[in-house]
This record gives sequence, structure tokens and C-alpha cells, in this order.
Amino acid sequence: MKKIKRLAISNRGEVAVRIIHACHELGIETVLLHSDVDKNSRAFRMVDKAICIGPASTIDSYLNIEANIQGALAAGADAIHPGFGFLSENYKFVEAVEKAGMIFIGPSAKAMKAVGDKVNCKAHAERLGLPLIPGYQGHNQSVDFLLEEAERMTFPILVKAAAGGGGRGMKLLTSRSDAKELIESAQREAQAAFGNPTVFLEKYLDRAKHIEFQVFGDSTGNVKHFFERECSVQRRHQKIVEEALSPSLTDELRRKMGEAACLLTQSVGYQGAATVEFLLQDNQFYLLEVNTRLQVEHPVTEMVLGVDLVKAQILTASGNFVFSPHQVFYPHGHSIECRVYAEDPFQGGIPSTGLLGKIEWPEGPGRRFEYGFEAGDVITSYYDPMIAKIIVWDETRLRAIEKMSRVLKDSIIFGVKTNIPYLLEIINHPEFVKGTMTTRFIEKFFAEPLKELKTNEAEQALLNELSKIKSKPTSVVFSELGMIESPFVGAWRTE
Amino acid sequence: MRQIFSYKSQKISYVSEWIQGTLWLHVGGKTFTFESSQVAKKSRKGHIGLAHNKIIAPMPGKITKVLVVEGQVVEKGQAVVVMEAMKMEYTLKTELAGPVEKVKIIVGSQVSLGDILVQINQEPK
Repeated sequence: MKKIKRLAISNRGEVAVRIIHACHELGIETVLLHSDVDKNSRAFRMVDKAICIGPASTIDSYLNIEANIQGALAAGADAIHPGFGFLSENYKFVEAVEKAGMIFIGPSAKAMKAVGDKVNCKAHAERLGLPLIPGYQGHNQSVDFLLEEAERMTFPILVKAAAGGGGRGMKLLTSRSDAKELIESAQREAQAAFGNPTVFLEKYLDRAKHIEFQVFGDSTGNVKHFFERECSVQRRHQKIVEEALSPSLTDELRRKMGEAACLLTQSVGYQGAATVEFLLQDNQFYLLEVNTRLQVEHPVTEMVLGVDLVKAQILTASGNFVFSPHQVFYPHGHSIECRVYAEDPFQGGIPSTGLLGKIEWPEGPGRRFEYGFEAGDVITSYYDPMIAKIIVWDETRLRAIEKMSRVLKDSIIFGVKTNIPYLLEIINHPEFVKGTMTTRFIEKFFAEPLKELKTNEAEQALLNELSKIKSKPTSVVFSELGMIESPFVGAWRTE
Repeated sequence: MRQIFSYKSQKISYVSEWIQGTLWLHVGGKTFTFESSQVAKKSRKGHIGLAHNKIIAPMPGKITKVLVVEGQVVEKGQAVVVMEAMKMEYTLKTELAGPVEKVKIIVGSQVSLGDILVQINQEPK
């Protein structure tokens, strides 16, 4: 058992804040390893120490293993939490953290390689007899070879980043004509996002549901599952709305899939949090991949099970978390998460960047807001567009949808456009309300940009009234002068 | 702060703020914007994406691929530039056929919203 005194966070945004909350409650000091532009963030203002590890470009900061290690050591940290994305699933980072004498909050490098690497995972799952989707997961990365493989499996085919998640570097090939361009694009995106251009091909299931199981291995390697989440609402394979539990699993499927998820992770001695992702079509489930980290949508599991996955991760890594033999987890009620993206839903979802002028969350019972930016912060184009997550809990799924509707309507974000109007349409769509949506829900019902919102008579009168009042120049200038500093001004200075 | 607007005996609760020349208004569960200054007009609909004979950056970001050279004749719908913003790739296509007159960016260029990337000459009819 090792006591963690000071934990460094190799991440940014809302997940950095989530980790800080867990550390505060556990009495652990926090260090933020951040890029220069992320001095404008809520996490920066919350931590005990902040160390600038490089410029905005992720390859030179958040993806730079050496810079993260040196930053953590300089701050006297004894553990590193990688959050999700960036270096969280890079076993070389795990090895570097351990070599530097610190604790990595996550699985061992060995377990990460065994199930986090998609090639190894599929080979291992096959030996265990788990159902897999047909595909090509080899090392031959020539575009012509991949094209031939795609034709052999027949279109539609998915191209995915070997090292990735979150939909980056993932493309759908529907015919030979545009396949070459898309494979190359996927390889470039994979390189940019994960530092590794390797891609895989996979037969595309066209009416599947995305169901994933949250599993957790305690300090002794005893793995239990914390039930499932459904994340079928995806756009370009990027999740938008997630919920726990799934509205469409039978008890029998739940039992079988949960057992498969535990078997796979237990067999590699997995410790900490992992998510085993499946596709479910016609009552058949197929293993998709294992994410060897905390998941963006972990809050919905926390809400229905009454657990704290981040605290459990930290305690497990320090050897202090063991399931009691009689511990049984019962889900209670229903939870939904909506991801708030900085984008313009009325213009096909193009990214929206700029100064956040105001941000106001409608707090209330069963409402949870995870966010990384506050008024005065600048949303840049360097990083993922997700600026916040809204999570609700209620007694039934229908009530949770009603609550989410109200919360979305009452959430105020000024300065950048967000997908909130789009989220409202999604969760009120009859297919979502019924719970029968598949991973093609968005392309089927939301292919077109949303129509511009209309003002009613009273709202128009108000708008006319307000637009007559001249903008106050003082509220405009402060940010651009004060916020953007030249690179490395704050490098290595602890604050 | 929430404010009250009375309209024909209706009580309407709203929040509003001017931010960099744009009025933001939250009312009735919806957020509206109203732009007044010249700066804000640059980003208005119609000025971005495909305007006339120019390929214009629809958002700030980095150029990852330039698919045409000056003098090359492009077809309607042809991919011209690939850019990356917020870790996603976007392919910009031309709505106009004709020879490429000017390529103003190279791979790696950081561009701002509204920047002209490529200019195309309309094909003589």
C-alpha cells in the first residue's frame, strides 16, 4: 500500500476538474500539467500547483510523454492521472511514469497492452471464445492492400484508428470510389490524434446498438461489472448522448454480456476502471473494443449505482481498494448524459470558438454539471469541441428525459454557439423516447443542419428593445488583452 | 442575472449580454444572437464557407492538405482543401468549376474564420 500525497493530472477541461474534485475529497494535493493556452481554464484555477508543459499543439504538450514526466517530477508529484484521450491509453506512458518512480492511475502497462491494443484484444477475445465483428486488424498498412481487404469483406466498411477512441480517425467506406481518400484521411487523423497512423478495417453493422459495460478490477485483480451504458446516439462515431442502464437489454443479455466483459478483463489481471464496448444487433452481441481508462460517460454509471469511479481508480492504484466478498451493486433509477459541444448546430455543426461571456447552469436535484471553462475563458480550435457534460438522474427513463429537456433549455452559454438546440431535438425524438435508436440514429434523422430558431412575437419585441441599447465597449476588450500570453511565459513556473 | 420584460401583460424572464459586438439573449429556453458591429459581421452566415469564387475558412484551424495547385482546373464538388479544427478533419469542396487562380495557404498554415484560402475563376460559358 502506497499513500499518494500529490497527484499530477495530464489532461485538461472538464475531466481535469473531475479528477481535482476526487483528489480534494481524498485529501490529495493536485498538480495540473497544462499547455500554455489552458491557463484560461477552471482546472488551472482549482489546482494547488500548475506547470506549463508546452505550447497549445497537443503533440508538444499533452501528447509529449517526456514533458509530462518532467513536469510531474518538478512539482514533486507521486502519481499521475491521465484522464481520457491524450496519453491515457499509451502503455509507453505507463512505463515512463513507473520508471520515474510514480504511480500511474490506471491499469498496468501489461494489462493495457493485452486488452487496450485492439489487435491483441481481438486475438485474446477470440481465444476466450467471445463473439467478434469480421474485419482486418493486421500490420500491413498499405492503402492498396487495405482497399483490397475492404472489397473482400464487401462494403460498408469502417476504418478505425488502432490506437484511438472517441471517433477520431474513424471513417465509413460505402464504395470503392471514395475509399482511398477516406483511408488516407483516417491515417492522418490517427497520426494527429494518437501519434500512430495504424488503422483497422471492420465490417459495418448497420442497425446495431452501442452497449458498453463498465468493469472495475480492485487492488487484488478481482473484477466486477457496474452494469451497462447505452451510447447509440453518435455522430461520425463520436458519442453525443449516453445513458444507464440501456433501455433495450433483456436480463439474459445483460448477464451474458456482463460475464463476457468480466471474463475478458479478469483474464489479464486488470486493475482499475475499463469499459468493454459491444455492438448489439438482432439480439447478437459482438465485442468492439476495450477502453483501458475512465470513460467520458462514466457519470451515468456513478448516478445509477452510487459509486465514485475516479476515487475508486485512485484508491485502487495505491493498493487501497478491495471489493468486499458480499458487495452487490444494484442499479437504481435512470441517468442520461448530454455532451455539450462548441459548435453551430444551425450550420451543420462547424466548430465555434471564442470568448465565453457567460455560463450559467440550472442547478437542482438530480442534476450534475461537469465543465472545464467559465466566463472569461477562451474556447480555442486546438482541442476537442466538448466543453461540458450535463448529467441528470431521475426515477424512470421518461422522467430523466423530461428533466434533461428542462435542464438543456435553462442552461445558458454565451460567447460560443453550442449544440444544445440539437441535443433537445435528439432527446425528444420519438425513436429516442421509445429507446429503439441504433448507431445510425443521427444519420437517419439529423442529416440536415437544424432550422434557425424562430422568435415569437414577445421575444422579437424584447430582441428589438435590447438591440437598441448600444454595446458597452468595456465588456468587450478585457479578454483579448489579458488572456492570450506569448508561449512559454509561464513555462516551469509553478503557481 | 435574470431580468423581466413585460409584453402585453406577459411576464417574460430573460438573460442577455453584449459580448464583442454581439448581443446574446436567452429567453424561452432558446439562445439568440444579434450582431451589430463590423467585426461580428465577418462571421455571419453567407460570408463563410463557399462565397462566390472563393474557398473561405468556415472556422479557425490548421490546413492539413492542399489538393489543388494554381492553374489547375477543378470540377464542381471537387475537394480543394482539408483542414483540422478541434481534432476533426473537414474537407472543403468547391461549388464552382474552373481554373484555380490563387492558393493562399500551405500545409500547416493556421487560418482564422473567414480567411480566403483558395480563389477560383469561373469557367467561361
